This record gives sequence, structure tokens and C-alpha cells, in this order.
Amino acid sequence: MISVKKVNNKPLNLLEKIYLWEIARGLSVTIRHFFANLFNPGNILTVPYPEKTIPLPGNARFRTRHRLKVRSDGSPKCVACFMCQTACPAYCIRIEAAEYTENTVEKYPAVFDIDLSRCVMCGMCVEACPEDAIAMDTEELTGGALNRGELLMTKDGLLRNLPGEPSRKGAANRLANEYLKSRGEE
Amino acid sequence: MMEFFEANKDILLFTGAAAVKALAFLGAVMGFTALMTLAERKVSALMQDRVGPNRASVFGFAFNGLFQPIADAIKMILKEDFVPGRAEKLLFTLAPFFALVPVLALFAVIPFGDYVMVYGYQLELQIADLPLGLFFVLALSGLAIYGVFLGGWASKNNFALLGGLRGAAQMVSYEVVLGLTLVGLMMIYGSASLQDMVRAQGRLLFGFIPAWGVVCQPFAFILFLIASTAENKRTPFDLVEGESEIIGYFMEYSSMRFAAFMFAEFIEIVLISMLIATLFFGGWQVPYLYETGFMFPGGAELPLNHYLVSAMQVGSFTVKTVFFCWFSLIVRWTLPRFRFDQMMSLCWKALLPLALLNILLTGAAMTFLGKL
Repeated sequence: MISVKKVNNKPLNLLEKIYLWEIARGLSVTIRHFFANLFNPGNILTVPYPEKTIPLPGNARFRTRHRLKVRSDGSPKCVACFMCQTACPAYCIRIEAAEYTENTVEKYPAVFDIDLSRCVMCGMCVEACPEDAIAMDTEELTGGALNRGELLMTKDGLLRNLPGEPSRKGAANRLANEYLKSRGEE
Repeated sequence: MMEFFEANKDILLFTGAAAVKALAFLGAVMGFTALMTLAERKVSALMQDRVGPNRASVFGFAFNGLFQPIADAIKMILKEDFVPGRAEKLLFTLAPFFALVPVLALFAVIPFGDYVMVYGYQLELQIADLPLGLFFVLALSGLAIYGVFLGGWASKNNFALLGGLRGAAQMVSYEVVLGLTLVGLMMIYGSASLQDMVRAQGRLLFGFIPAWGVVCQPFAFILFLIASTAENKRTPFDLVEGESEIIGYFMEYSSMRFAAFMFAEFIEIVLISMLIATLFFGGWQVPYLYETGFMFPGGAELPLNHYLVSAMQVGSFTVKTVFFCWFSLIVRWTLPRFRFDQMMSLCWKALLPLALLNILLTGAAMTFLGKL
């Protein structure tokens, strides 16, 4: 069933047909805005961004620059499962997996690149990650750069913890947790 | 050598004074126009609760965007000067000049003050006091159509051609209305010289109302305001550009050729504002200010220095011009665009009959009430 909206289009009366009065009314609105903003520029909502920042509103802070979480022993939480790379609609993640020499339970990313110039900030990688290893909660906005190289984030730049981390929880993966427990790390 | 100067003293003084006036006035107008390009963006920003350009800086000082016109100019100069392969090279090159030169020439007849005595030499504050100044204005603003039409036609682009066609039709139509609204003024003031018209506006009606054009011809003022906006190709009559539908006659232009078109449009705003101030708002007249000082209707007098009076008159003209420039910007950012048929019917079916009616009423009033 298509909903029907009745529009009440009244025919224009004489004053409206002449336009001039209505134009004057329209002008009064814009002129009011002009003088209000001219004498009171503080009311303009625009933030002069690089010099001044405001707390990101709502959940916008969960769509900021990526990071890879680090365990307490300094190894990346990421197990190089390629889930984020598969989920990424912009094809901006590149992972090369490698194996730990001391255990055969899990892998680690030898290379983890995120090309921020292609990233669309959709957060699908965070959703896809089974290890809760990638996060977009640094509250750093990916702004412009003077060359493309600056926008390519490598593993070195990505691996970092926020204050209060690492969490002692370890991985969600059962095998990895057993491995951690065997090392006495919960 | 000295004999030559002595023999031709008058003509040399006149030429020198004219050159100085032309340079000073055009310099002021050009500087103001450059600021207008900034003001257009700043005013629109403030109207829409935005900030506008404020980042162009010299040595870290931005002054809230005051250097933006310089940045624009540098960008325009450095851009590639592109000419389409199929374009008519000669006409394509000529079109920006046709757009720019008539509007610049028009400033010659605009009086920006009464006169100043400099070492006993009476310096008229007008570059050229033509007896038929008003016709000069109409003739040259008719010439400005060539810029639009040649630009649209010579670039061999369908959208540009469409813009050029629209521009030609629009400007020719509104030229008629523009001319006819001014007939009433000529009838009242009995002159086509702009300086004479301004002087006539210094008189008082009923002893206390300044006889400004807007008081004597309020109807013509509204018609002139509408027709001049259309002549200027600005919203709500900006179908020539129509940046959201056809880009307009300057579509294929880039670099300084495009800047010439843009600059011509902004100079036209200043020109139209000056014309409105001159014709309808007393030009350089300040109410009750005469050559010797203020003379109020009640009988009170306030004698003033000659130079102070001249400065106040030029200042008055500047304030009026700036106000109408600002008004033009406000209108441009408030109203939506007309459809082409609406615009044409507004001109031929509404404005033209009303302009003729205005002439008729003015004639009747002058017959029955006597001359001003």
C-alpha cells in the first residue's frame, strides 16, 4: 500500500503573485542571519579544525584511525587470519602471515599495512576480527597528507595500546588461550 | 619648452587631471572589486551560518581571509590557458575583452563627487561629464552582450552556446526595460547628464524631503533594480550561468580569460550599485548638505570647510555604493533561479508594460503638477 500525502497547494494570492513582498520576507530572514553572525561570530558551529578540536560526538570516536592491540608480552593480538582483509570493501588492508618459531598454534602478521588513502572508515575490519585485535578507537582523525606514503600505515605505526592496556584477557581463541595459560599468562 | 607649457596650459591641466582621476577612480574600483570577490563568499557564508574563506595567509597572518583575492589571482595566473581545438581562436580571445572593456569604460561618466578646488583649479569629481551620459551608459551596457555571446559561440561547445544564446536574449530584453525606466528620470530632471541629475537631486520637495530619484520615481526604482539585476546576469536571473544546469558561456574558459569574465561580472555589480546610487539615491548628495555646509529645513545652519564638504560627499557616494553592492550579494544568496520562460514573460509581459505605464504617469504628473 503506497501511502499518499495530500499536499495543500493553495493558489497564490495577489500579494504572493507580485513576488516582491515575499522576496522582502525572504531577504529579512537572510539579513537577520547575516547580522546575527556578523556581530556574534561565536554562534557559528564551524570548528577551525587543526587548531581547535572538539570531543568527537557519539560513536564517531569508534570510526577513527586504526590500531592493532598488543599483548602484555609485546606480541600482536592479531593472528593473521585475513578476516579483516576479506571483509574490507575498499581493499586497503594487506597482510602477510608468518609463524612463531616457538609454537605452532597461531600465526602472527609479518606485514600488516592499511592504506588510509583507500580506507573508507566503515569499521568492517573491526566487526570481522575474531580476536578483537584491530580497533578504530584512537580518536585520531585521518586527515590529509602531503604525499601518499604518509597515508600508508605499516605494522610499526599500527601496533600500540591505549592507556590501561593490554587487557589480561588474551585472545578469544580457545587454543591460543591454552597456549597463554601454559605460559602462565591467564 | 616653457612657452609650450604656457601656451597649452589649459589643455595640459585638463588632460593631467583627467588621467589622475581615471587612475585614482579605476584603481579604487578595481581594489573594491577584488574585495567584492571575497565579500561574495564571506557574505554568503555569514548568511548560511558558515565561516567562509579564512585560510589564505601571508607570513602567518590571515586577517580572516583578507588575502584570499591575492591567492585567487595567483591561482588564476598559474592555471593552464586552454583553448579548445575547435574553437574560433580569434573570437575566443576577443570575448573576455568585450566583456571587460565596456564595463570599465562606463565608470567614466559616473560622478563620485561635486568638485574640489585645488590651488584655484576647479577639479570636477567625474572623469567625463558627458551631456548624454545616460545614453552612453545604455549604449555601452548593450555592447557587453558581445562578450557573453562571442564567448558562448566561439568556444564551440553546446552548453556554452546555450548559455550565450540565453545571455543574448536576456540582456537584449532587459536592456529595453532598463532604458525605459530611465526615461521617467530624464523627464523629471530634464537632463541626461549624470552630474546634472545628481545636482538636481539636491533640491528639496515641499521644503524638507530631498528630491532623490527614489522619492520622485519609486516605481522606476523597483523596475530598475529588477532589470539591472537581470542585466548583470545574477540570481534570480542567472540562467546564463546556471551553474547547476549549464555551466554557461564561459564553460571552455580557464585561467585569466575566465577571470576576466568573472571580474567583469563583479565590476558590473559595483557599476550597477553606483548607477542606482547616482540615479535614485542622490549620488554624492548628503541630505541638507550644500557647498557651504549644512542648512537644515528648520533654519539651523552649520557652516563647514569646503574640503570637509567634498570629503563627506565622496564618502556619502561610497557608503551608498557599498550598501547596494551588499544588497546585491544578499539578493544573490537568497532567491532561487527563474525558469527561462518565466524570466522572459516577466520582462515582456510585466516589466515592459509597467515601465511604459511609469512614463505615462510621470508625464501626466508633470503636466498637472508642474515641473520639479
